[in-house]
Amino acid sequence: MAENNVSAELVKESPGGTVAATDAPLLEVRDLKVHFPFRRGPFWNRQQAAVRAVDGISFEVREGETFGLVGESGCGKSTTARAILNLIHSTSGQVLLNGRPIHRLSDSAMRPYRRQMQMIFQDPFASLNPRMTVGRIIGEPMKIFNLHTPRTRRLEVMRLMELVGLNPRFVRRYPHEFSGGQRQRIGIARALAADPKLIICDEPVSALDVSIQAQVVNLLMELQAELGVAYVFIAHDLSVVRHISHRVGVMYLGRLVEVAEARDLYDQPRHPYTQALLSAVPVPDPQIERTRQRTELSGEVPSPEIIYPGCPFADRCPIAEPECRDRPPHLEGDGHQVSCHLA
Amino acid sequence: MTQPVLQVDNLSVQFKTDDGMVRAVRDVSFAVHPGETLGIVGESGSGKSVTNLAIMGLIPRPPGQVTSGRAIYGGRDLLRLNARQLSDIRGRRVAMIFQDPMTSLNPFLTVAEQLTEVTRRHLGHTRRQALDHAVTMLERVGIPAASRRIEDYPHQFSGGMRQRVMIAIALSCRPEVLIADEPTTALDVTIQAQILDLMRQLQEEEGTAIIMITHDLGVIANVCHRVNVMYAGRFVEEATVDDLFARPRHPYTLGLLQSIPRLDEEAAAVLTPIEGQPPDLSEMSPGCAFEPRCRFAVDRCRQERPALETGPDGGRHACFVDVETAPQQERQHG
Repeated sequence: MAENNVSAELVKESPGGTVAATDAPLLEVRDLKVHFPFRRGPFWNRQQAAVRAVDGISFEVREGETFGLVGESGCGKSTTARAILNLIHSTSGQVLLNGRPIHRLSDSAMRPYRRQMQMIFQDPFASLNPRMTVGRIIGEPMKIFNLHTPRTRRLEVMRLMELVGLNPRFVRRYPHEFSGGQRQRIGIARALAADPKLIICDEPVSALDVSIQAQVVNLLMELQAELGVAYVFIAHDLSVVRHISHRVGVMYLGRLVEVAEARDLYDQPRHPYTQALLSAVPVPDPQIERTRQRTELSGEVPSPEIIYPGCPFADRCPIAEPECRDRPPHLEGDGHQVSCHLA
Repeated sequence: MTQPVLQVDNLSVQFKTDDGMVRAVRDVSFAVHPGETLGIVGESGSGKSVTNLAIMGLIPRPPGQVTSGRAIYGGRDLLRLNARQLSDIRGRRVAMIFQDPMTSLNPFLTVAEQLTEVTRRHLGHTRRQALDHAVTMLERVGIPAASRRIEDYPHQFSGGMRQRVMIAIALSCRPEVLIADEPTTALDVTIQAQILDLMRQLQEEEGTAIIMITHDLGVIANVCHRVNVMYAGRFVEEATVDDLFARPRHPYTLGLLQSIPRLDEEAAAVLTPIEGQPPDLSEMSPGCAFEPRCRFAVDRCRQERPALETGPDGGRHACFVDVETAPQQERQHG
């Protein structure tokens, strides 16, 4: 494990360094919207409304990079992940993989792209088929994409198990025989089986105990250093996201309010929501905690059905001015992007 | 130091399961004082919730069984009271809030019914008095338009608001001890900050002793005065919050602190995880339960279990090794 640690270190020291060399981004999301329409009101006065889960977000992910996506529950980060993978259909906007549009493709047209994009889920208990052995679970993507010969497939499964730190002798065991952290390793091995360029990790460590979280975070970073895979890392734990990400986007009510290099975002947050979010995270140091200034937000995240003429955060924003309610801000800036009139 | 409001001595709890006897809590002792917040930190399955459920007489029997110990409150041993005596104390003197406010509120009853039930039962309030008191409590925990919202059902509140309702119910009889079991784990960080502030403010006003059970070391640092670290059913370290974070004495505590990424620090190259898995509580070695994962372990740790002993700075820890000077080894795990 020691040599792997060194390589993980190298990647961390040059966020975006080697990856910036390639010009076309691996993944590009342009003005993506996912609205879930519903009807409301009594039958004589039915009105069409929509939950605007994702409401016009744009970002890109470069090869070998980790893009962190943070925000509170209901902000649309998981919906974004599912829309990128076409697991739910987007309402409008574009998703480009290696410059090729993949949004709203049919299942069969999507298939070749699925090999390049895999997903790791939050719940390692619900996302593995309890009736399949570990060997079959990890081998399944190879079968689907017709990789390797049936004979070399077995060897490949064992190689992947070793790669993610599972004992290959356990290849015939079932998921329930493993602990939570080990199951997450199985999920990671399955995602790697198709040799993807991009893995979307939706809260991959939040169901795990802290001592196990660190094992999985380290594993993901080592794999990236070794294989050059890019991650979209979705989590509500801002400390973990800082640790693993090169760049980070902050979502609020279906929109990106700030996107920046991890260090810039955490050391100099510019959007008032990012500032409040960061200041709310308790730090494991009692002396710092006693003296820390918190930007406390009043109220709660409003319903995503509401259509705002101005900035959707204005009602809770500690520095909002009248114009914020009239004119919508856009994500602007070079490198460090903010969606705020006053930042 | 003042008299402790609740004192637990040598508490042990076991569960009979298909895999044999699971000794979930082993010989746990602690005391909590008025106005103090005592943290109990540990990972899932470490026994922190079971410890407190046992104190409240909420362990299902069978399969659970309290095999030893006492919990002294107001000169009486809570573990020896009958159901009737216990229900006079529970909710009145010692109250509890849980992680998931949706499953711990009754979805078929309005908030008003659930809030008035406790005060009518324990304080002998009339319906009118109880309702007035309930509105006051909802206002105190920061629920806007309390007199109107009190007629709502739990599903009409958001997660943070439901947890406020739980706190209002728990505090409505002004208990001396509040046991909070992961009260903010299901909440978003901005809401967590609001709830922790609220608990701190109510504690200052009422002098309530709080037992805060959590796995989140940030929450511990934010609210606790003293902390107990629990591993495999035992307390392995107890210290003031400052000592615990500045000078962890037990290798497990040190391991926990080194394995979490910190928001306020330049990202370290690699986290130092605690390798391996927590032990199976049904089959335990005679030695230290943490030994198989410990970077400091010596031969003695395999044969003999270290006792929880008081150290030079007044804290207690159960370890043969001094983590500040002892050599470390890389451990291999399959």
